[in-house]
Amino acid sequence: MNTVIGAIENCRFCLMCRHVAPVGHITHNESVTPHGIALVAAMQRRGQLTWNTSTLDVLYAEPDGGNCRAHCVTDQPLPAAIAAIRAEVADDGLAPPEVVSAHNRIAENHSAFGSYEPATMHGEWGLFVGDVGFNLARETVQAALKLLEACGLDVVPVGCGLDSGFIPCSLGYPKTAHAQARLCIEEVQRTGIKKLLVLSPQDLFAFLQMHQERLDITWPEDVVIIDLIDFLASQVPNLKLIPPAGITENAAAYVDPTHAVRLPERFDAARSLCEVALGSAPLELFWRKDRAHPVGSTAIQFTRPDIGVRLTEARLEDAINRGAKSIVCDDPVTLHELRLRDKSSMRIQGLYETMLTRLPPHS
Amino acid sequence: MEWTGLQPEMVRSELTEIAGDAHVSTDEADRLVYATDWFWLPQMWLDRGEAPRKPDYIVRPKSAEEISAILQVANSYRIPVIPWGGGSGSQGGALPVFGGIVLDTKRMNRIVEIDEKSLTVTAEAGINGKQLEWAVNEKGLMLPHYPASANCATLGGYLAPRGTGTISTKYGKAEDLVLRMQVVLPDGHILRTPIVPQHAAGPDFYRLFLGSEGTFGVITEATMQLDYLPECRLLRAVLFEDLTDAIEAGRQIMTRRLEPFVIRLYDPRSTASRVKKILGYELEGAYMVLGFDGDKDIATLQEEKAMDIINGFGARDLGREPGEAWWNQRYDFYYPPQSLKLPWMYGTTETVTTYDKIEKLYFAEKKAVEEGYREWDIDFIGHFSHWFHWGVMVYTRFIIRNPPDDAKEAVRLHNRVWNTAMTAVLENGGMVNEHHGVGLKLSRFMRRQYGDAWPLLDRIKKSLDPNGIMNPGKVGFGR
Ligand SMILES: Cc1cc2nc3c(=O)[nH]c(=O)nc-3n(C[C@H](O)[C@H](O)[C@H](O)COP(=O)(O)OP(=O)(O)OC[C@H]3O[C@@H](n4cnc5c(N)ncnc54)[C@H](O)[C@@H]3O)c2cc1C
Ligand code: SF4
Repeated sequence: MNTVIGAIENCRFCLMCRHVAPVGHITHNESVTPHGIALVAAMQRRGQLTWNTSTLDVLYAEPDGGNCRAHCVTDQPLPAAIAAIRAEVADDGLAPPEVVSAHNRIAENHSAFGSYEPATMHGEWGLFVGDVGFNLARETVQAALKLLEACGLDVVPVGCGLDSGFIPCSLGYPKTAHAQARLCIEEVQRTGIKKLLVLSPQDLFAFLQMHQERLDITWPEDVVIIDLIDFLASQVPNLKLIPPAGITENAAAYVDPTHAVRLPERFDAARSLCEVALGSAPLELFWRKDRAHPVGSTAIQFTRPDIGVRLTEARLEDAINRGAKSIVCDDPVTLHELRLRDKSSMRIQGLYETMLTRLPPHS
Repeated sequence: MEWTGLQPEMVRSELTEIAGDAHVSTDEADRLVYATDWFWLPQMWLDRGEAPRKPDYIVRPKSAEEISAILQVANSYRIPVIPWGGGSGSQGGALPVFGGIVLDTKRMNRIVEIDEKSLTVTAEAGINGKQLEWAVNEKGLMLPHYPASANCATLGGYLAPRGTGTISTKYGKAEDLVLRMQVVLPDGHILRTPIVPQHAAGPDFYRLFLGSEGTFGVITEATMQLDYLPECRLLRAVLFEDLTDAIEAGRQIMTRRLEPFVIRLYDPRSTASRVKKILGYELEGAYMVLGFDGDKDIATLQEEKAMDIINGFGARDLGREPGEAWWNQRYDFYYPPQSLKLPWMYGTTETVTTYDKIEKLYFAEKKAVEEGYREWDIDFIGHFSHWFHWGVMVYTRFIIRNPPDDAKEAVRLHNRVWNTAMTAVLENGGMVNEHHGVGLKLSRFMRRQYGDAWPLLDRIKKSLDPNGIMNPGKVGFGR
């Protein structure tokens, strides 16, 4: 057995991360909690179940948002185990058609959502834009680039329209994921980038953890990978943002992006930027910081779109229940998904776009 | 035998009519997952490739009214109904031993009201324990039922088997914290118990639903007592050479009403194994963690007085750090692979009795289990963790690291060990259980436990549930 799959033997009768399991929470169904998914997978391996519509529905319900592992005292890599089992399923030709076609799109275009445009410029600093940022949320990318310019940096946008390997890996196609990861590294090396800022936590997670753990790929040692939000938080004094006048209490809630639980260092940085951009501390969701739930922006949008939509709706409901009139988030992937699903009059604003409006006129 | 054909489809259509298609499942994967709770036997059974008894339907109702309608359907078809909260019960209480409808309450997870004046929370029974705790914490409050399973258990699951949490020694068991409940009776009648539990307006009938584990009805909502989050928590650990001295010290602290929120006393075997494994301390003797909370000056004084008692027994003060480490890591014991795990055989034979009997009971059970199953190299460990003014609970565990491979043989050995342990408990004046409940596991001991009083319970059951639909096979009630 692939060693990482061994995690299901630990998780199959463990209920200790149920309280933060996002899919269990929205469906109220034991079967799609970490325990349930691991149990179904473990029983399939023991010959008690076979892969069919019912059991595959369970296997593909795991969102790969990292909540279970972030709360696991013994650090069980359950999402990686599930990805590895999906790879076996795909190898056996049993993957559902929607999964296959999402994979084929990435394998052909390097992008699930549009096109990939490799960078041609060179520089020391780069911004990894990613697939969704480039193809579906350009205004966030533009805002980020302008803020970086205001910091005095000349930044090369890279990975424009390029999937970092996260989606194919999570869908169960490690070879394609491997190729995508290699492409990311090649582009960064080709452009001479030594300091790589990353716009989306999804790509940051891929670079900092997933490539090594699931694909056995190590990034070149001379490339430093930096969360854009951490970098901008450190630059607040240089940016000299002008706070909005007269705000004492905010009606904007900060949504921790998908994968935030995997990158806990960013919780405070994001909030400090919100405070500067909004004029006071943002409203906090119930599902925040180390218990933040993902929106349906992971591979779940292809594997179980019904659940993906509910995950996003649940974030919007959380904000409404907290009395928020608007939502603010830094991640283009999360922002795009929230905008797509919002049926209320909620204003969904990009954090970097909001920060841009606070820049002094000639910076 | 699988239930197939027209009739199951008829039932399904009625259930769907009530709860909606999305909330009624007969899926193969769902039926397997709901075939086992946290009881060792069904887990082992599944793990060794044996087919479990699965529910025929899993229904996730949204309200007491929906549950009422579901119970009426179940009565008309004479189908078992098994309430299911988090499925974290260790006694097989939520197992569908005769098939039927598993009624998963987790969709009923609303907080109805937090009353910051009376310090109460009213919530639907399917709410997750930790999520409820987070919600009241936001108001500076806590629900002082802190079970190790708060991450996975529900409010209804706290109450139905009469659970006990880590800080019960000061704040009480789950049942002591409930003011009021809404319950759906087996015939579908929905009732609310009186607004407060302490009164003199007639008998205390609400207690019937605490400990009946879904055999007398479904708890759909409860109002629970809250407390302020304490200003401080003072923890420290001490080491006794002798278990007898340690129990006596605990008794004196309790009977002098010094109000510790926790006294966790590990027997020497547990000190050498569990405390070493999880906390990393290599110690010989009986390890005790002691905690006081609330206003700092009061807690400090209580701790001082308790330490006077402890010092009188010549125990070694290990200081704050090991007490705090225990508090911070107290639930780490439950994460695999640190938790007890298959293929081992294990069981928690926790019991409670008065101070005059507890030590004798503990040693009698230990001797019976250790001597009776020596050829299996059985390990018997324990700790004393829920202390009352009159007695204490001992949480004892047996572990067999090389149980039989054959599932049926394993069942027989498992049940023999339980028979031995429970016989020792009953013969020495103990209760077969203190907080995990009875479920399927201890069902067969209920008549012996209650003796003359059993027929009364049996009569209540028959009058409330004449068709025997509610959780059959549990708590001593047959089909
Ligand atoms: C890791 C771990 C640690 C544990 N630690 C503790 C502990 O510290 N203290 C403790 O007391 N227990 C503990 N337990 C045991 C168990 O978690 C508790 O008994 C828990 O309260 C059960 O809640 P549940 O919602 O999971 O109930 P379930 O397991 O779903 O059900 C338990 C029983 O209650 C019935 N029931 C459930 N909901 C309702 C309802 N709404 N109305 C009527 N009947 C209902 C079920 O039919 C069943 O008989 C632990 C279990 C685990 C897995
Ligand atoms: S990830 Fe950890 S906490 Fe979650 S089910 Fe697995 S072992 Fe348990």
